[in-house]
Amino acid sequence: MTRPFLGFGLGLRTEHYQYVLDNKPAVDWFEILSENYMVPGGKPLANLDLIRADYPMVMHGVSLSIGSTDPLNKKYLKDLKELAQRVEPHWISDHLCWTSVDGNNSHDLLPLPYNEVTINHIADRIKQVQDYLGRQILMENLSSYVTYNDSEMSEWEFLNEIVKRADSLVLLDINNIFVSAHNHHFEPIDYIRGIDIDRVMQFHLAGHSYSGEMIIDTHDHDVCDPVWTLYAEALKHFGAVSTMIERDDNIPEFPMLRAELAVAERIAADTLSADMLQIPENRLSGVA
Amino acid sequence: MPELRQLQQSFMGYLLGEASPVVEQIESSADTSAQQRLDIYATGYRLRLKEAIMSDYGRLHFYLGDESFELLMDRYIDMYHSPHTSLRYYSEHIEALLAEHKPFSEVPELVEIARIERAFNDSFDSANCNTMKIEQLAQIQPEDWPEVRLQFHSSLKVLPCEYNSFPIWKALSEEETPPTLVKENSSWIVWRKELVSRYRTLSDEEADALNMAMAGGSFGEICKKLLDHFDEETTPQQAIFFLQTWINEKMVCQLSV
Repeated sequence: MTRPFLGFGLGLRTEHYQYVLDNKPAVDWFEILSENYMVPGGKPLANLDLIRADYPMVMHGVSLSIGSTDPLNKKYLKDLKELAQRVEPHWISDHLCWTSVDGNNSHDLLPLPYNEVTINHIADRIKQVQDYLGRQILMENLSSYVTYNDSEMSEWEFLNEIVKRADSLVLLDINNIFVSAHNHHFEPIDYIRGIDIDRVMQFHLAGHSYSGEMIIDTHDHDVCDPVWTLYAEALKHFGAVSTMIERDDNIPEFPMLRAELAVAERIAADTLSADMLQIPENRLSGVA
Repeated sequence: MPELRQLQQSFMGYLLGEASPVVEQIESSADTSAQQRLDIYATGYRLRLKEAIMSDYGRLHFYLGDESFELLMDRYIDMYHSPHTSLRYYSEHIEALLAEHKPFSEVPELVEIARIERAFNDSFDSANCNTMKIEQLAQIQPEDWPEVRLQFHSSLKVLPCEYNSFPIWKALSEEETPPTLVKENSSWIVWRKELVSRYRTLSDEEADALNMAMAGGSFGEICKKLLDHFDEETTPQQAIFFLQTWINEKMVCQLSV
């Protein structure tokens, strides 16, 4: 498989709309939070359309609840598909987690037990989603704080097996690997090396916070040095992968975030050849 | 898959503050117990819902003060789970809580302030429509006028107030000390003109006409309602004046005959 490489992107946040519209900053692409635009109309969609005219986009969701034992939410899928037709993103991602059960939404990315029953359940649901959307989707690894007694394998074995059976793709969050490795006492490099290279389509980078002995995935700080080191290792292992920084709280001015993205660009330039980091000219067009 | 479902229901029960056996299915480590690990999720659940409520009701928060608003949020979270895939809609029942539960129900302007904030929030991302232009009125045949009906922009809300809640809301929006509470009947409208939310007060006459029009009443029925305020000669002119105003303010999406 030839992996499309979009370059280096940022999460589009409302705080930065005006700056982006006024200055058209040099960013290769934006990732949008799908649910923020699954609304009837008004400013969110108007700004989205204006920014989409100038930048490639990918869509990233938090409420697919692919691991839930509730039926798939058809209304949500319909709205997601309509948004994809509007945005024409290069790809659509969500998390390998569950968010709701019995119709109650936790608005959190809740972990799953890593076993055969869960793999079968989720692979089947991903196939249904992909059939409905008419495209492969990306599954992202979580930051997690609990391990279930009835988990029977590592998280990366679980992720690999699901995406293989569903023929789906992976959004690898480097910060989440670091956070979960700390919280569950494994080596983050083992996770990186354990993931099937050909399935990985995108990287996330983000900051986190410490709470006692645990690390919480808060997205409210800059990316820390150990995560940058892990990112360099990931680039060595996977090659050029479209990379973006997520920031959801304590959001700095746009130029500061852009400067942080330049760190990712510099690490990639130091790690990979210029040929590998070539960005296609026609990347503004996505997939309807 | 019953085990997975049971696990998810137990986990959700823990987040919702119910008695739950889920802790027995979680591993403890030397540094952090299973319960401490679960509590990261339980704490995060309430924090996220509170952030959503605070984001939606900033003026109400300012009016109530931190302590009372915290009580309101805790009460709301205990009473209402989220059925939505987006936190954008989580706080939709706050007016019901304010109206029906002490101590909030003893402060009647709270519901009105919350209703105003909700109207603005809803106007922000309500459905778009191509609003009518005034020239389109000329296309209506004279004999069709009595049966003309209006379709309004989905953002338009009429907000009847029994207190000076709108001036209070306005002062809170400008981070000024709100005026003393006064009982006074008034009607206001909130709507979105293109991409910007607007508001203004309504006269009693315009409020009657607009309520009739928004309820699907025909132009003839609007005129009949306005006979409560005007004589037969001036009523049609007044009705046309209101209609032109609504069209010029981009509240009307289309007319049907």
